[in-house]
Amino acid sequence: MSTNNPGQEQLSSWKKTRVGELYINPLPVRIWHWLHAMGFVALILTGVQIRYTNLFNVLTFETAVKTHNWVAFAVIANYFVWLGFYLFSDKITVYHPELNPRKFFEKAFKQMQFYSYGIFKGEPSPHKVQPYDKFNPMQSITYQIVMMLIVPVQFITGIMMWDIKRFESWIAMLGGIEVIDTVHVLIFIFFLSFTMVHAYMGALGRKPSTHFKEMFTGFEEEHEDWDQ
Amino acid sequence: MTRTAVGDPMENTPVVLPAIIFMCYMIFSGVLYAAPETEASAEPVVITEAPIDVGAELEAILKKNNKCLKCHSREKVKTLEDGEEMSIQIHREDFAGSAHGEIACVSCHTSIGNRRHPSKSTNIAISSQRDYSVELNQSCRLCHDKKVKQYEGSIHFSMVGQGSTKAPVCTDCHSAHAVETMKVYQAETGFPCKKCHENIFTAYVESVHGSARTSGNVIRDEHIQAPICSDCHQSHDITAVEIGDTLRSECFGCHENVPLLHNQWLPNAGAHLDIVSCAVCHAPFAKHRFDLHFFDNIAQVPVGQQEAYKLFQQQLQEMEEAGGNVDPLAVWKLIEESNENTSSNISLRGRMEVKSGVWAHQIAPKSFAVRTCDSCHQAGKRQGLGVTVSVPQQDGRVQRFETDRDELSSVGAVESISDFFAIGGNKNRFLDILVLLSLISGFAIPIGHFTLGKMIKEKLERGEQ
Repeated sequence: MSTNNPGQEQLSSWKKTRVGELYINPLPVRIWHWLHAMGFVALILTGVQIRYTNLFNVLTFETAVKTHNWVAFAVIANYFVWLGFYLFSDKITVYHPELNPRKFFEKAFKQMQFYSYGIFKGEPSPHKVQPYDKFNPMQSITYQIVMMLIVPVQFITGIMMWDIKRFESWIAMLGGIEVIDTVHVLIFIFFLSFTMVHAYMGALGRKPSTHFKEMFTGFEEEHEDWDQ
Repeated sequence: MTRTAVGDPMENTPVVLPAIIFMCYMIFSGVLYAAPETEASAEPVVITEAPIDVGAELEAILKKNNKCLKCHSREKVKTLEDGEEMSIQIHREDFAGSAHGEIACVSCHTSIGNRRHPSKSTNIAISSQRDYSVELNQSCRLCHDKKVKQYEGSIHFSMVGQGSTKAPVCTDCHSAHAVETMKVYQAETGFPCKKCHENIFTAYVESVHGSARTSGNVIRDEHIQAPICSDCHQSHDITAVEIGDTLRSECFGCHENVPLLHNQWLPNAGAHLDIVSCAVCHAPFAKHRFDLHFFDNIAQVPVGQQEAYKLFQQQLQEMEEAGGNVDPLAVWKLIEESNENTSSNISLRGRMEVKSGVWAHQIAPKSFAVRTCDSCHQAGKRQGLGVTVSVPQQDGRVQRFETDRDELSSVGAVESISDFFAIGGNKNRFLDILVLLSLISGFAIPIGHFTLGKMIKEKLERGEQ
């Protein structure tokens, strides 16, 4: 553990400390993450069942729709755990430790270089994980777009389809139910590959299980090499 | 004063007086009128004596019509201008026992009351029995104005106006002279609707409504009667049922807890009740179709037969005549152009219906209702079903044009027919391709990245060696 670490003093104020480890993912974030992950997998599977009843017959259409709706509401409620945590704690800075766009894009470019070549050479990640600077620039921009734009749009379109009559004026204003469904399905299409790639990148730690363990325990080894 | 009084004009004409008396007798007994009819007939009229053993009560009822009945109670026919022979016999008992038994003949046959009895001598002829019935519809208005007005708003009246010889006028349902009271219109007999709608009535009799009606006439809590034809379709203002939710309202009139019951298990129950006609699920053996119709988004009603929409009909007709099915996307473009040029806001809306009126009446008990979502939401199961674009006609009925089923799954349909969408049922093929690409990417990116990394590592290791 380096002594000139700017987050060191803040870290020492945390309840949980381990030698050689940083407490990166607090409990609310971990709870949110794994519930969100399970919910997303369930939504993708039930969504596929709803859309492709002619190909899969694991659940009846009725059961798939009802499961999809219940899980979706749980995921929406869970979203507010995430939102509440970041809004009402000082951890929101993990998304923007430095509000400097030029620096941000420079770091993002370096991160891309790392993922496309440096990682294979065993180079350390250009981003050093800290409790208040958790995400590399690519993670930061991706997660912000996902959590602040794509996920809410998915929630809104899903809620509209959950009760078409109740939201019929909104649906009509936005172009009709098939437009809403198309947006919902396009986002599903994005999440289908995103979830798979996200899981793969989670396995790019020092060992394939490293980042997964970190997301369960909250602690990350203080190394300067691999990054998710 | 006697007839021999001074100044009596008859005094000097002893031969004329009996002649006048005889003439009057002939006129009022109808013989004079009857005579030319026999001349006009192609075949001689067979005149037989009517039964005269009617009771005093009957005689009393018919007293005011005796003059007419003297001739018209006899079995006789009149040859009309179209060559058809029309019976002009009035059965005394039937008439006396009818709801109109005490009404004078001339109350309805007003022209005869005005001494315009059809005959050769008066040069008044009846072109056809149908024309005569249509003409006499106006007589009913004299007493039943409200009912006639209702009838004039009906599909039956519209069809009569269009020249239909089968659409009913008042007498077709109520009979011309043996007019019955409302009590005779019972489900068990199907009278009078069955006369024209026999297939539908047979379906009704076998339905949950018909069987309840015929076996005790009660349904549910023993205080609600199962419906007969007029309970849903009305008696006189019978409208076409092909557009809108007129009949759904009738269903809800008795089944008032339908939204609540469907909400308990059916996702988006309200939308289903709007788009899917009741019979689609509750007549389990019925065949279905998708119907797309023009909808006024400002008034929130299906469009009627306004002048502007005749253009749609014309264009659809041209498309159909050009061969093949009508393209719903081309129809949508017509609407778009129309919306741009006018202040209207029309769109295409869809509705799932049963294919015929017979199926619409085969309502089964609740336990037989279709509850499998797959029957609509599974793409493969609906491929065989037809899709139509319907255009309203003046009488409320619609003209249907067969259209291309595949167009409902095209990219263009997202915007054009966006209100008619069943998840899984008519899903967009373009999105299916994207789903496949996304799935491939989900595997290809990790595999590609992993493989690339391995290759780079091997290359670097070889370089180091």
